[in-house]
Amino acid sequence: MTPVHFSFSAAFILGLMGLAFHRTHLLSALLCLEGMMLSLFIALSMWSLQLESMSYATTPVLLLAFSACEASAGLALLVAATRTHGTSHLQNLNLLQC
Amino acid sequence: MNPYVLMILISSLGIGTTLTFMSSHWLLAWMGLEINTLAIIPLMAQQHHPRAVEATTKYFLTQATAAAMILFASTTNAWMTGEWNIQQLSHSPSTTLVTFALALKIGLAPMHFWMPEVMQGLDLTTGLIMATWQKLAPFAIIYQISSTTNPTLLTTLGILSTLVGGWGGLNQTQLRKILAYSSIAHMGWMIIILQFMPKLTLLNLMIYIIMTSAMFMMFKYNNATKINYLTLTWSKSPVLATLTMPMLLSLGGLPPLTGFMPKWLILQELTKQNLAITASIMALATLLSLFFYLRLCYAMTLTLSPNTTNTSSTWRIKSPQMTMPLATISTLTIMLLPITPTIFSLIM
Repeated sequence: MTPVHFSFSAAFILGLMGLAFHRTHLLSALLCLEGMMLSLFIALSMWSLQLESMSYATTPVLLLAFSACEASAGLALLVAATRTHGTSHLQNLNLLQC
Repeated sequence: MNPYVLMILISSLGIGTTLTFMSSHWLLAWMGLEINTLAIIPLMAQQHHPRAVEATTKYFLTQATAAAMILFASTTNAWMTGEWNIQQLSHSPSTTLVTFALALKIGLAPMHFWMPEVMQGLDLTTGLIMATWQKLAPFAIIYQISSTTNPTLLTTLGILSTLVGGWGGLNQTQLRKILAYSSIAHMGWMIIILQFMPKLTLLNLMIYIIMTSAMFMMFKYNNATKINYLTLTWSKSPVLATLTMPMLLSLGGLPPLTGFMPKWLILQELTKQNLAITASIMALATLLSLFFYLRLCYAMTLTLSPNTTNTSSTWRIKSPQMTMPLATISTLTIMLLPITPTIFSLIM
Protein backbone atom coordinates (compact mmCIF):
# COMPACT_ATOMS: atom_id res chain seq x y z
CA MET A 1 0.00 0.00 0.00
CA THR A 2 1.57 3.25 -1.12
CA PRO A 3 1.45 6.40 1.07
CA VAL A 4 -1.00 8.05 -1.34
CA HIS A 5 -3.30 5.04 -1.18
CA PHE A 6 -3.07 5.01 2.60
CA SER A 7 -3.84 8.71 2.94
CA PHE A 8 -6.93 8.77 0.75
CA SER A 9 -8.22 5.54 2.32
CA ALA A 10 -7.72 7.03 5.77
CA ALA A 11 -9.52 10.23 4.72
CA PHE A 12 -12.44 8.26 3.31
CA ILE A 13 -12.75 6.01 6.35
CA LEU A 14 -12.58 9.03 8.68
CA GLY A 15 -15.41 10.63 6.70
CA LEU A 16 -17.45 7.43 6.85
CA MET A 17 -16.88 7.09 10.60
CA GLY A 18 -17.92 10.71 11.10
CA LEU A 19 -21.08 10.13 9.09
CA ALA A 20 -21.90 6.97 11.02
CA PHE A 21 -21.11 8.01 14.59
CA HIS A 22 -21.29 11.81 14.83
CA ARG A 23 -25.01 12.42 14.50
CA THR A 24 -25.98 15.81 15.83
CA HIS A 25 -26.45 18.13 12.86
CA LEU A 26 -27.52 17.37 9.31
CA LEU A 27 -24.90 19.84 8.12
CA SER A 28 -22.07 17.84 9.69
CA ALA A 29 -23.37 14.70 7.96
CA LEU A 30 -23.31 16.56 4.64
CA LEU A 31 -19.78 17.80 5.33
CA CYS A 32 -18.66 14.23 6.03
CA LEU A 33 -20.20 13.11 2.73
CA GLU A 34 -18.38 15.90 0.95
CA GLY A 35 -15.12 14.88 2.64
CA MET A 36 -15.61 11.31 1.41
CA MET A 37 -16.21 12.59 -2.10
CA LEU A 38 -13.10 14.79 -2.02
CA SER A 39 -10.94 11.87 -0.90
CA LEU A 40 -12.32 9.91 -3.87
CA PHE A 41 -11.44 12.89 -6.07
CA ILE A 42 -7.84 12.73 -4.82
CA ALA A 43 -7.81 8.98 -5.43
CA LEU A 44 -9.04 9.23 -9.00
CA SER A 45 -6.81 12.14 -9.97
CA MET A 46 -3.73 10.49 -8.42
CA TRP A 47 -4.55 7.28 -10.27
CA SER A 48 -4.76 8.99 -13.63
CA LEU A 49 -1.62 11.07 -12.86
CA GLN A 50 0.42 8.05 -11.89
CA LEU A 51 -0.61 6.03 -14.89
CA GLU A 52 -0.37 9.08 -17.17
CA SER A 53 -3.41 7.88 -19.06
CA MET A 54 -5.22 10.56 -21.02
CA SER A 55 -8.50 8.66 -21.15
CA TYR A 56 -8.85 8.74 -17.37
CA ALA A 57 -8.01 12.43 -17.04
CA THR A 58 -11.67 13.45 -17.18
CA THR A 59 -12.89 11.08 -14.47
CA PRO A 60 -12.01 13.32 -11.45
CA VAL A 61 -13.93 16.21 -13.01
CA LEU A 62 -16.95 13.99 -13.66
CA LEU A 63 -16.81 12.82 -10.06
CA LEU A 64 -16.59 16.41 -8.86
CA ALA A 65 -19.62 17.39 -10.96
CA PHE A 66 -21.70 14.57 -9.50
CA SER A 67 -20.59 15.30 -5.96
CA ALA A 68 -21.51 18.97 -6.45
CA CYS A 69 -25.01 17.91 -7.55
CA GLU A 70 -25.24 15.65 -4.54
CA ALA A 71 -24.09 18.38 -2.19
CA SER A 72 -26.65 20.82 -3.58
CA ALA A 73 -29.42 18.24 -3.18
CA GLY A 74 -28.23 17.73 0.38
CA LEU A 75 -28.30 21.45 1.11
CA ALA A 76 -31.79 21.74 -0.38
CA LEU A 77 -32.90 18.93 1.92
CA LEU A 78 -31.23 20.75 4.83
CA VAL A 79 -33.33 23.83 4.08
CA ALA A 80 -36.50 21.74 3.66
CA ALA A 81 -35.89 19.83 6.90
CA THR A 82 -35.21 23.05 8.79
CA ARG A 83 -38.45 24.56 7.48
CA THR A 84 -40.60 21.56 8.34
CA HIS A 85 -38.97 20.43 11.60
CA GLY A 86 -37.80 23.72 13.02
CA THR A 87 -34.23 22.56 13.62
CA SER A 88 -31.58 20.76 11.65
CA HIS A 89 -30.78 18.31 14.44
CA LEU A 90 -30.84 14.72 13.26
CA GLN A 91 -32.48 13.75 16.56
CA ASN A 92 -35.61 15.60 15.52
CA LEU A 93 -36.09 13.41 12.47
CA ASN A 94 -38.17 10.94 14.46
CA LEU A 95 -41.68 11.21 13.02
CA LEU A 96 -41.52 7.94 11.13
CA GLN A 97 -40.24 5.69 13.86
CA CYS A 98 -42.54 3.13 15.39
CA MET B 1 -45.65 19.48 -9.99
CA ASN B 2 -45.00 21.03 -13.39
CA PRO B 3 -45.46 18.30 -16.05
CA TYR B 4 -42.22 19.24 -17.82
CA VAL B 5 -40.26 18.88 -14.59
CA LEU B 6 -42.03 15.61 -13.89
CA MET B 7 -41.11 14.36 -17.36
CA ILE B 8 -37.46 15.27 -16.82
CA LEU B 9 -37.41 13.51 -13.45
CA ILE B 10 -39.08 10.35 -14.75
CA SER B 11 -36.77 10.15 -17.76
CA SER B 12 -33.76 10.71 -15.49
CA LEU B 13 -34.92 7.77 -13.40
CA GLY B 14 -35.02 5.70 -16.59
CA ILE B 15 -31.64 6.95 -17.76
CA GLY B 16 -29.97 6.22 -14.42
CA THR B 17 -31.09 2.62 -14.40
CA THR B 18 -30.27 2.18 -18.08
CA LEU B 19 -26.78 3.59 -17.54
CA THR B 20 -26.11 1.12 -14.75
CA PHE B 21 -27.48 -1.72 -16.87
CA MET B 22 -25.26 -0.84 -19.81
CA SER B 23 -22.01 -0.12 -18.05
CA SER B 24 -19.14 -2.47 -17.45
CA HIS B 25 -17.04 0.29 -15.89
CA TRP B 26 -17.42 1.04 -12.19
CA LEU B 27 -17.49 4.83 -12.63
CA LEU B 28 -20.37 4.71 -15.10
CA ALA B 29 -22.28 2.28 -12.91
CA TRP B 30 -21.79 4.66 -9.98
CA MET B 31 -23.01 7.57 -12.12
CA GLY B 32 -26.17 5.64 -12.96
CA LEU B 33 -26.84 4.98 -9.29
CA GLU B 34 -26.28 8.65 -8.46
CA ILE B 35 -28.61 9.84 -11.23
CA ASN B 36 -31.22 7.44 -9.91
CA THR B 37 -30.96 8.80 -6.39
CA LEU B 38 -30.93 12.44 -7.44
CA ALA B 39 -33.92 11.95 -9.75
CA ILE B 40 -36.21 10.36 -7.18
CA ILE B 41 -35.50 12.91 -4.43
CA PRO B 42 -37.81 15.65 -5.84
CA LEU B 43 -40.50 13.02 -6.44
CA MET B 44 -40.30 11.96 -2.82
CA ALA B 45 -40.33 15.47 -1.39
CA GLN B 46 -43.01 16.94 -3.64
CA GLN B 47 -45.69 16.83 -0.96
CA HIS B 48 -43.92 19.22 1.34
CA HIS B 49 -45.02 17.77 4.66
CA PRO B 50 -42.63 16.91 7.49
CA ARG B 51 -42.83 13.14 7.04
CA ALA B 52 -42.00 13.31 3.34
CA VAL B 53 -39.02 15.60 3.96
CA GLU B 54 -37.79 13.36 6.73
CA ALA B 55 -38.07 10.25 4.56
CA THR B 56 -36.26 12.03 1.72
CA THR B 57 -33.42 13.11 4.00
CA LYS B 58 -32.96 9.61 5.36
CA TYR B 59 -33.07 8.11 1.87
CA PHE B 60 -30.57 10.67 0.57
CA LEU B 61 -28.08 10.04 3.37
CA THR B 62 -28.16 6.24 3.03
CA GLN B 63 -28.03 6.18 -0.76
CA ALA B 64 -25.26 8.77 -0.99
CA THR B 65 -23.18 6.86 1.57
CA ALA B 66 -23.74 3.57 -0.23
CA ALA B 67 -22.79 5.06 -3.59
CA ALA B 68 -19.63 6.62 -2.14
CA MET B 69 -18.69 3.27 -0.60
CA ILE B 70 -19.16 1.52 -3.93
CA LEU B 71 -16.90 4.01 -5.66
CA PHE B 72 -14.32 3.82 -2.87
CA ALA B 73 -14.20 0.04 -3.11
CA SER B 74 -13.82 0.10 -6.87
CA THR B 75 -11.11 2.77 -6.66
CA THR B 76 -9.23 0.63 -4.13
CA ASN B 77 -9.59 -2.29 -6.52
CA ALA B 78 -8.22 -0.14 -9.33
CA TRP B 79 -5.25 0.95 -7.20
CA MET B 80 -4.50 -2.64 -6.28
CA THR B 81 -5.13 -4.44 -9.56
CA GLY B 82 -5.45 -1.70 -12.19
CA GLU B 83 -8.82 -3.01 -13.30
CA TRP B 84 -12.04 -0.99 -13.58
CA ASN B 85 -14.25 -3.72 -15.00
CA ILE B 86 -17.24 -4.65 -12.82
CA GLN B 87 -16.89 -8.36 -13.39
CA GLN B 88 -13.21 -8.43 -12.47
CA LEU B 89 -13.41 -7.20 -8.92
CA SER B 90 -10.68 -9.44 -7.54
CA HIS B 91 -9.31 -7.56 -4.50
CA SER B 92 -11.03 -9.29 -1.59
CA PRO B 93 -11.57 -6.40 0.92
CA SER B 94 -13.11 -4.25 -1.81
CA THR B 95 -15.41 -7.13 -2.79
CA THR B 96 -16.69 -7.28 0.79
CA LEU B 97 -17.09 -3.51 0.92
CA VAL B 98 -19.05 -3.49 -2.34
CA THR B 99 -21.31 -6.24 -1.04
CA PHE B 100 -22.01 -4.24 2.11
CA ALA B 101 -22.62 -1.06 0.12
CA LEU B 102 -25.07 -2.78 -2.22
CA ALA B 103 -26.79 -4.37 0.76
CA LEU B 104 -27.20 -0.88 2.22
CA LYS B 105 -28.60 0.29 -1.08
CA ILE B 106 -31.27 -2.40 -1.37
CA GLY B 107 -31.89 -2.63 2.39
CA LEU B 108 -30.59 -6.03 3.44
CA ALA B 109 -30.78 -7.03 7.06
CA PRO B 110 -28.05 -5.44 9.15
CA MET B 111 -28.42 -2.25 7.04
CA HIS B 112 -32.19 -2.28 6.68
CA PHE B 113 -33.22 0.31 9.25
CA TRP B 114 -33.84 3.10 6.74
CA MET B 115 -36.19 1.05 4.61
CA PRO B 116 -39.48 0.95 6.65
CA GLU B 117 -39.15 4.57 7.72
CA VAL B 118 -38.50 5.85 4.22
CA MET B 119 -41.39 3.79 2.84
CA GLN B 120 -43.72 5.11 5.52
CA GLY B 121 -43.06 8.73 4.56
CA LEU B 122 -43.96 8.35 0.88
CA ASP B 123 -47.23 8.22 -0.97
CA LEU B 124 -48.16 4.90 -2.54
CA THR B 125 -47.10 5.72 -6.11
CA THR B 126 -43.61 6.83 -5.08
CA GLY B 127 -43.49 3.85 -2.74
CA LEU B 128 -44.19 1.63 -5.73
CA ILE B 129 -41.27 3.16 -7.63
CA MET B 130 -39.11 2.79 -4.54
CA ALA B 131 -39.94 -0.88 -4.03
CA THR B 132 -39.58 -1.90 -7.67
CA TRP B 133 -37.66 0.37 -10.04
CA GLN B 134 -35.04 1.52 -7.55
CA LYS B 135 -34.06 -2.10 -6.88
CA LEU B 136 -33.17 -2.82 -10.51
CA ALA B 137 -29.92 -0.85 -10.79
CA PRO B 138 -28.30 -2.27 -7.63
CA PHE B 139 -29.33 -5.76 -8.70
CA ALA B 140 -27.67 -5.27 -12.08
CA ILE B 141 -24.38 -4.74 -10.22
CA ILE B 142 -25.02 -7.53 -7.70
CA TYR B 143 -25.66 -9.93 -10.56
CA GLN B 144 -22.38 -8.98 -12.22
CA ILE B 145 -20.25 -9.37 -9.11
CA SER B 146 -21.98 -12.57 -7.99
CA SER B 147 -19.06 -14.82 -8.92
CA THR B 148 -16.47 -12.92 -6.90
CA THR B 149 -18.27 -12.18 -3.65
CA ASN B 150 -17.70 -13.91 -0.34
CA PRO B 151 -20.12 -16.89 -0.04
CA THR B 152 -20.31 -16.86 3.75
CA LEU B 153 -21.18 -13.18 3.76
CA LEU B 154 -23.95 -13.71 1.23
CA THR B 155 -25.46 -16.60 3.19
CA THR B 156 -25.35 -14.60 6.42
CA LEU B 157 -26.97 -11.56 4.80
CA GLY B 158 -29.66 -13.72 3.21
CA ILE B 159 -30.70 -15.64 6.32
CA LEU B 160 -30.51 -12.54 8.50
CA SER B 161 -32.71 -10.45 6.24
CA THR B 162 -35.33 -13.16 5.82
CA LEU B 163 -35.52 -13.46 9.61
CA VAL B 164 -35.53 -9.72 10.24
CA GLY B 165 -38.05 -9.08 7.49
CA GLY B 166 -40.44 -11.60 8.98
CA TRP B 167 -39.87 -10.57 12.54
CA GLY B 168 -40.07 -6.83 12.03
CA GLY B 169 -43.34 -7.00 10.14
CA LEU B 170 -45.14 -8.82 12.94
CA ASN B 171 -45.45 -5.68 15.02
CA GLN B 172 -46.72 -3.31 12.32
CA THR B 173 -50.14 -1.92 11.59
CA GLN B 174 -49.05 0.45 8.82
CA LEU B 175 -49.34 -1.15 5.39
CA ARG B 176 -46.33 0.60 3.87
CA LYS B 177 -44.08 -0.57 6.70
CA ILE B 178 -45.43 -4.10 6.27
CA LEU B 179 -44.60 -3.93 2.57
CA ALA B 180 -41.12 -2.62 3.40
CA TYR B 181 -40.48 -5.55 5.72
CA SER B 182 -41.85 -7.92 3.09
CA SER B 183 -39.37 -6.37 0.66
CA ILE B 184 -36.52 -7.02 3.12
CA ALA B 185 -37.57 -10.67 3.47
CA HIS B 186 -37.78 -11.17 -0.31
CA MET B 187 -34.36 -9.54 -0.78
CA GLY B 188 -33.01 -12.17 1.63
CA TRP B 189 -34.32 -14.94 -0.64
CA MET B 190 -32.71 -13.28 -3.64
CA ILE B 191 -29.33 -12.96 -1.94
CA ILE B 192 -29.19 -16.50 -0.54
CA ILE B 193 -29.31 -18.08 -4.01
CA LEU B 194 -26.97 -15.55 -5.65
CA GLN B 195 -23.79 -17.61 -5.29
CA PHE B 196 -25.31 -20.86 -6.62
CA MET B 197 -27.57 -19.78 -9.44
CA PRO B 198 -27.67 -16.02 -10.18
CA LYS B 199 -30.43 -16.54 -12.76
CA LEU B 200 -32.78 -17.52 -9.97
CA THR B 201 -32.05 -14.18 -8.30
CA LEU B 202 -33.33 -12.46 -11.42
CA LEU B 203 -36.38 -14.72 -11.55
CA ASN B 204 -37.17 -13.97 -7.91
CA LEU B 205 -36.68 -10.23 -8.48
CA MET B 206 -39.05 -10.32 -11.44
CA ILE B 207 -41.76 -12.22 -9.55
CA TYR B 208 -41.29 -10.00 -6.49
CA ILE B 209 -41.70 -6.87 -8.60
CA ILE B 210 -44.93 -8.23 -10.10
CA MET B 211 -46.36 -9.16 -6.71
CA THR B 212 -45.41 -6.01 -4.87
CA SER B 213 -46.68 -3.75 -7.68
CA ALA B 214 -50.01 -5.54 -7.47
CA MET B 215 -50.16 -4.88 -3.73
CA PHE B 216 -49.20 -1.21 -4.07
CA MET B 217 -51.72 -0.66 -6.86
CA MET B 218 -54.44 -2.32 -4.81
CA PHE B 219 -53.69 -0.12 -1.81
CA LYS B 220 -53.60 2.90 -4.09
CA TYR B 221 -56.99 1.98 -5.55
CA ASN B 222 -58.49 1.73 -2.07
CA ASN B 223 -56.44 4.60 -0.60
CA ALA B 224 -55.48 2.25 2.20
CA THR B 225 -52.49 2.98 4.42
CA LYS B 226 -53.43 1.17 7.64
CA ILE B 227 -54.80 -2.28 8.41
CA ASN B 228 -58.11 -0.88 9.64
CA TYR B 229 -58.71 0.82 6.27
CA LEU B 230 -58.57 -2.64 4.75
CA THR B 231 -61.65 -3.70 6.66
CA LEU B 232 -63.68 -1.22 4.59
CA THR B 233 -62.46 -2.34 1.18
CA TRP B 234 -65.17 -4.97 0.71
CA SER B 235 -67.77 -2.21 0.59
CA LYS B 236 -65.80 -0.28 -2.03
CA SER B 237 -64.95 -3.07 -4.39
CA PRO B 238 -65.94 -6.61 -3.34
CA VAL B 239 -64.22 -8.36 -6.23
CA LEU B 240 -60.93 -6.64 -5.58
CA ALA B 241 -61.19 -7.45 -1.88
CA THR B 242 -61.69 -11.11 -2.72
CA LEU B 243 -58.85 -11.03 -5.22
CA THR B 244 -56.49 -9.49 -2.71
CA MET B 245 -56.56 -12.55 -0.49
CA PRO B 246 -54.81 -14.81 -3.06
CA MET B 247 -52.51 -11.90 -3.92
CA LEU B 248 -51.37 -11.68 -0.29
CA LEU B 249 -50.99 -15.44 -0.02
CA SER B 250 -48.97 -15.38 -3.23
CA LEU B 251 -46.67 -12.78 -1.64
CA GLY B 252 -46.33 -15.17 1.28
CA GLY B 253 -45.43 -18.02 -1.09
CA LEU B 254 -48.24 -20.53 -0.84
CA PRO B 255 -48.32 -23.37 -3.42
CA PRO B 256 -50.91 -22.88 -6.13
CA LEU B 257 -49.93 -19.21 -6.61
CA THR B 258 -47.13 -17.36 -8.37
CA GLY B 259 -45.15 -16.55 -5.23
CA PHE B 260 -44.44 -20.22 -4.66
CA MET B 261 -42.39 -20.49 -7.87
CA PRO B 262 -39.17 -18.70 -6.78
CA LYS B 263 -39.28 -20.23 -3.31
CA TRP B 264 -39.71 -23.71 -4.78
CA LEU B 265 -36.84 -23.33 -7.23
CA ILE B 266 -34.56 -21.75 -4.62
CA LEU B 267 -35.25 -24.46 -2.04
CA GLN B 268 -34.63 -27.11 -4.68
CA GLU B 269 -31.30 -25.55 -5.66
CA LEU B 270 -30.21 -25.16 -2.04
CA THR B 271 -31.04 -28.82 -1.39
CA LYS B 272 -29.08 -29.83 -4.47
CA GLN B 273 -26.06 -27.99 -3.03
CA ASN B 274 -26.32 -30.08 0.18
CA LEU B 275 -27.46 -27.10 2.20
CA ALA B 276 -30.51 -28.69 3.79
CA ILE B 277 -30.11 -26.73 7.03
CA THR B 278 -29.97 -23.37 5.24
CA ALA B 279 -32.99 -24.35 3.17
CA SER B 280 -34.94 -25.32 6.29
CA ILE B 281 -34.04 -22.08 8.06
CA MET B 282 -35.16 -20.04 5.05
CA ALA B 283 -38.43 -21.94 4.74
CA LEU B 284 -39.17 -21.58 8.44
CA ALA B 285 -38.27 -17.88 8.47
CA THR B 286 -40.82 -17.30 5.73
CA LEU B 287 -43.53 -18.53 8.08
CA LEU B 288 -42.99 -15.32 10.06
CA SER B 289 -43.75 -13.28 6.94
CA LEU B 290 -46.72 -15.49 6.18
CA PHE B 291 -48.17 -14.63 9.57
CA PHE B 292 -48.52 -10.94 8.83
CA TYR B 293 -49.80 -11.55 5.31
CA LEU B 294 -52.44 -13.80 6.88
CA ARG B 295 -53.28 -11.04 9.33
CA LEU B 296 -53.91 -8.69 6.39
CA CYS B 297 -56.11 -11.36 4.76
CA TYR B 298 -58.01 -11.76 8.00
CA ALA B 299 -58.59 -8.03 8.29
CA MET B 300 -59.72 -7.76 4.69
CA THR B 301 -62.03 -10.71 4.28
CA LEU B 302 -63.14 -11.94 7.68
CA THR B 303 -63.76 -8.88 9.84
CA LEU B 304 -65.97 -5.84 9.81
CA SER B 305 -64.72 -2.36 10.42
CA PRO B 306 -65.03 -1.16 14.04
CA ASN B 307 -66.92 1.92 12.82
CA THR B 308 -70.68 2.02 12.53
CA THR B 309 -71.54 1.28 8.93
CA ASN B 310 -74.97 2.53 8.00
CA THR B 311 -75.14 0.88 4.62
CA SER B 312 -73.88 -2.47 3.57
CA SER B 313 -72.10 -1.01 0.58
CA THR B 314 -71.08 2.50 -0.38
CA TRP B 315 -72.34 4.34 -3.43
CA ARG B 316 -70.47 3.02 -6.44
CA ILE B 317 -68.93 6.01 -8.13
CA LYS B 318 -66.80 5.12 -11.12
CA SER B 319 -63.20 5.42 -9.97
CA PRO B 320 -61.04 7.81 -12.00
CA GLN B 321 -58.03 5.57 -11.49
CA MET B 322 -56.84 3.22 -14.19
CA THR B 323 -57.76 -0.36 -13.40
CA MET B 324 -56.29 -2.12 -16.42
CA PRO B 325 -52.70 -2.34 -15.05
CA LEU B 326 -54.07 -3.52 -11.71
CA ALA B 327 -56.18 -6.20 -13.40
CA THR B 328 -53.26 -7.46 -15.50
CA ILE B 329 -50.74 -7.51 -12.74
CA SER B 330 -53.05 -9.10 -10.18
CA THR B 331 -53.79 -11.88 -12.65
CA LEU B 332 -50.05 -12.38 -13.08
CA THR B 333 -49.62 -12.36 -9.31
CA ILE B 334 -52.10 -15.17 -8.85
CA MET B 335 -51.88 -17.44 -11.84
CA LEU B 336 -48.28 -17.68 -13.07
CA LEU B 337 -47.32 -20.94 -11.36
CA PRO B 338 -48.55 -23.39 -14.06
CA ILE B 339 -46.15 -21.89 -16.60
CA THR B 340 -43.11 -22.29 -14.35
CA PRO B 341 -41.27 -24.53 -16.90
CA THR B 342 -41.69 -21.89 -19.60
CA ILE B 343 -40.42 -19.07 -17.41
CA PHE B 344 -37.59 -21.26 -16.12
CA SER B 345 -36.46 -22.16 -19.62
CA LEU B 346 -36.78 -18.52 -20.70
CA ILE B 347 -34.51 -17.30 -17.97
CA MET B 348 -31.93 -20.11 -18.11
